[in-house]
Amino acid sequence: MKFFIDDLPVLFPYPRIYPEQYAYMCDLKKTLDAGGHCVLEMPSGTGKTVSLLSLIVAYQQHYPEHRKLIYCSRTMSEIEKALAELQALMKYRSQDLGFEEEFRALGLTSRKNLCLHPSVKREKSGTVVDARCRSLTAGFVKEKKERGDEVDLCVYHENLDLLEPHNLVPPGVFTLDGLLRYGEEHKQCPYFSARRMMPWCNVIIYSYHYLLDPKIAERVSRELSKDCIVVFDEAHNIDNVCIESLSIDISEDSLRKATRGASNLERKIEEMKSTDADKLQSEYSKLVEGLQQAEQAREEDQFISNPVLPDDLLKEAVPGNIRRAEHFISFLKRFIEYLKTRMKVTHTISETPPSFLTHLKDLTYIERKPLRFCAERLTSLVRTLELMNIEDYQPLQEVATFATLVATYDKGFVLILEPFESEAATVPNPILHFTCLDAAIAIKPVFDRFSSVVITSGTLSPLEMYPKMLGFTAVMQESYSMTLARRSFLPMIVTRGSDQAQVSSSFGIRNDPGVVRNYGTLLTEFARITPDGIVVFFPSYLYMESIISMWQGMGILDQIWNYKLILVETPDAQESSLALETYRTACCNGRGAIMFCVARGKVSEGIDFDHHYGRAVLCIGVPFQYTESRILKARLEFLRENYRIRENDFLSFDAMRHAAQCLGRVLRGKDDYGVMVLADRRFERKRPQLPKWINQAMLDSETNLSTDMAVSNAKNFLRTMAQPFQSRDQEGISTWGLADIEKHEAKRKAEEERATHQQFMNGHKMDGVVTSTVEVEDEYDDDIDQDLMMLDAQ
Amino acid sequence: MASKNGISRRDEDEVCPVCKSSRYLNPNMRFLINPECYHKMCESCVDRIFSSGPSSCPVAGCRKTLRKNRFRAQTFEDIGVEREVDIRRRVMHILNRREEEFDSKRAYDDFLEQREEMIANLVCRTDVARTEAQLQRYATENMQSIRANQAIEEEEASSFQARMTLEQEEARLRRQLAREQIENERREIQAGREDMLSRLASGSSADAAAIAREGHKVLLKKSSARRSEEDRIRQKQAALRGSELKRSGLSASADMASSSGLIKGLRKIKTPEPEKPYDPFMGYVPEKRDYYTLQQSYPSVYLDRVKNDTRVAAGGYDLREYYARTMVEAFAGLGCFVEDEVAQRSVA
Repeated sequence: MKFFIDDLPVLFPYPRIYPEQYAYMCDLKKTLDAGGHCVLEMPSGTGKTVSLLSLIVAYQQHYPEHRKLIYCSRTMSEIEKALAELQALMKYRSQDLGFEEEFRALGLTSRKNLCLHPSVKREKSGTVVDARCRSLTAGFVKEKKERGDEVDLCVYHENLDLLEPHNLVPPGVFTLDGLLRYGEEHKQCPYFSARRMMPWCNVIIYSYHYLLDPKIAERVSRELSKDCIVVFDEAHNIDNVCIESLSIDISEDSLRKATRGASNLERKIEEMKSTDADKLQSEYSKLVEGLQQAEQAREEDQFISNPVLPDDLLKEAVPGNIRRAEHFISFLKRFIEYLKTRMKVTHTISETPPSFLTHLKDLTYIERKPLRFCAERLTSLVRTLELMNIEDYQPLQEVATFATLVATYDKGFVLILEPFESEAATVPNPILHFTCLDAAIAIKPVFDRFSSVVITSGTLSPLEMYPKMLGFTAVMQESYSMTLARRSFLPMIVTRGSDQAQVSSSFGIRNDPGVVRNYGTLLTEFARITPDGIVVFFPSYLYMESIISMWQGMGILDQIWNYKLILVETPDAQESSLALETYRTACCNGRGAIMFCVARGKVSEGIDFDHHYGRAVLCIGVPFQYTESRILKARLEFLRENYRIRENDFLSFDAMRHAAQCLGRVLRGKDDYGVMVLADRRFERKRPQLPKWINQAMLDSETNLSTDMAVSNAKNFLRTMAQPFQSRDQEGISTWGLADIEKHEAKRKAEEERATHQQFMNGHKMDGVVTSTVEVEDEYDDDIDQDLMMLDAQ
Repeated sequence: MASKNGISRRDEDEVCPVCKSSRYLNPNMRFLINPECYHKMCESCVDRIFSSGPSSCPVAGCRKTLRKNRFRAQTFEDIGVEREVDIRRRVMHILNRREEEFDSKRAYDDFLEQREEMIANLVCRTDVARTEAQLQRYATENMQSIRANQAIEEEEASSFQARMTLEQEEARLRRQLAREQIENERREIQAGREDMLSRLASGSSADAAAIAREGHKVLLKKSSARRSEEDRIRQKQAALRGSELKRSGLSASADMASSSGLIKGLRKIKTPEPEKPYDPFMGYVPEKRDYYTLQQSYPSVYLDRVKNDTRVAAGGYDLREYYARTMVEAFAGLGCFVEDEVAQRSVA
């Protein structure tokens, strides 16, 4: 279907569009026109991705600037989905326009997922694949080959050099699978094809990390121009991604490995001195001149790059005391030894970077300046030494990255030394957490560099929190409600059990037998009335375990087994995926199943329970974070001091976004339906923090229910949902055809006109004259059917 | 299994190389080293061997003479690093030039490398004699600047320490304040609710809804007022903090260093020019018109009497003062042309 937003022709690959999709596109276009960042919250399952892509592609193709789109998503499956969606869109566009547009779109993921080399691709771990790939593709390996040495090269990578550098793959949209297939056919490396084609792509789809993690972003996303449109989809967790990308954990074991790495380097240097001293000398003289920046040429096989923000790039020359390779090694050794001494603590310590640096200087005479250059110097050294098995140096690299970060940032970071893994542990296993507290640090270059950044997700409420935490100003903040022809989801807050005793997972009463029993009856009742699948979310693994064992003791699980199978998510990914598979089978063959998950686990983030896979979701307890953790405490304090976000506000915001995310799991489209139950008395007061679309669907009478009331409500709801429902019934209300859009436009314009007219009239003080020129058509639904009939006939 | 975690590995396997007793037998064993030879031995061995004065190291092949008072606990696990840090401490103490003292960054970097080279020489025992001699010579030649730089360093360290404690204290206060605020808020809400309940209990049933609404509104108003108040205070604090920082910005202190053969690229020391006397007109000199020159004395009938009167002179009265004043008064205004100025003003 084709329609216009202002003067922009938009081709939408489906015959119908949801009103909220239309509104979303309009707002998106406004933002793009204005230039600026926006935060958009759109209900889950209403086709966010396709509306986003179709508008931006239309925008790209229509305006002469051809602004590039960088679409960031979270997981590989989401990237693949977006690519497939884009492929369908482009197919539709070419059909509609009658010609193929010059258009290229590629997805990028790790080497592990895109490797074709027969032996390398069989490796299990991503870092090993990276390292082996490097040893087959690095520039110096090729040089060696040319010199006649006997070294292995990757054929797939070599073939790339035979092609034109800007035309490695033909125009079109390649899904990751498609790219692999194309690579296999033409014997070329999909990973490097995608990497090298990036500047010539109209749309790039990859994971957050390629843009947010300064270590990777520097290499991958460097040459993207300023006017790119950057989209972060599923961005409700973006602050945590930012923080994780700059945080480092160092354990005693990794320090030991780092020491070994340093000694290995030392040996290599000795070797090189005896065989090829010129190389070291030339590296040294380059460093003296401070030319390394120009020289580096930023090869794609770089070992590590500087974890400091790009605009903070160290343009200066490397300090004199680490210029020589052997001095640098002794420097590293000293630093590692120092960290080892720090590991011997017996109680938890938290420290700011400046005080860490002073102590370091007192003990080892390491100053701040050379520490900052640590990562860069190590990269240069590794390149000079032409090391092959880079994965051995991973821990050393980590230490170097840590050194650079700790010397660069005074504020927004904290060092926490924990000698014990858990409070109960008696055997020390010290870990040094270097934690970023400020999400804005990692994302700042993105906001600085790109003129339009779109942050979107199904659950972003409260919207104003994100600009505050990430340190940007949004030109547009919008939350869309869901238009529905019938009430297809039923959110409820259960605050009491059938015995009128309050239920809550708050720490004091969470293990009360009464509370646990009430939760148990709630679940049993729902298991009885709900068809197919039920998903249950707990605040933590710990609580889930304790409540399950208590249910077992009370015989509640036995009751549930009469109706449903029970499956449990565990921290182990493979076990969980097996459980999920079984769950799906049980739902499909009619047995029905209950999945016990954790609100911050993998399932709550990435798995959809559409249609019969999830007819009800129960959120047992408010999913607060574990507040005793040192890291969280430090972050809360930081937020309070710097962004004026109060501890309780942040905790409650964080809990509610996870709760909303859990609820959104069961509703993946407008023809889907499901019951959403929030079972905790504290939810009643947190209701305003739910996303608009959930909040609007919740009636006031359903916010303070007891179990029996909730069950009878749900029973009613499910009965209504079981009535036959044609998609025809939705038309005009929750799905729009072209005619509806036009009507909507006309109405909007008329309203605008009336508004301006009224202003005009008021301006001229012509009292008493009411214009009757603008008559809004309110008989909205009457003649729609005819239009639709016509559309259907076409 | 025990070797999986660091502590037990470190603790249980350690055996004193001299007496061969292990931590298993003596759980309180401490190891000491002597910076002469860095051989590790347990405390009891040190007591046993060196209590009666200096003796040679008991480790086979090492014939260094050690004294008990130089024994100390080991900081780093790696003896090599321990030794290097000791050497470094000594060299850094002497070669403590600061970046401000150099002409260019390049020169400073060269200095750093040179220092590193010397430390490496001492650590690897190559060229020890020459390096030591160089160090000695430098130390005697630049006594003054070494001292000055040490003083600067100490001052920096202490000021940093002071700043840190101050910051910590401030953070603690802020934390406390925030906690109090939350507590107050909670109490207020509680009080408001109780108040409302009591009013509901006493009032008629008709205005129950009105009372409830009113109570809610009051609470909302209070909380919004509190927030804006909070904001205001915070902004003020932030402004204050900013100005403090500016004030405390350390000014790099001037230094004096004599030129030395060892370090190149040191900045030439400029002695600051002596300050000129204060000039309120910033060097503006009015146009001079010499209408007169002041004479030593002017003939005057009645002044002559005064001039020769010792009583006047004894009172401190100087006639020249009087002449000068009179002359100025007589010629005052001669350089001004009112018409011109008026004309100028009207033109402007």
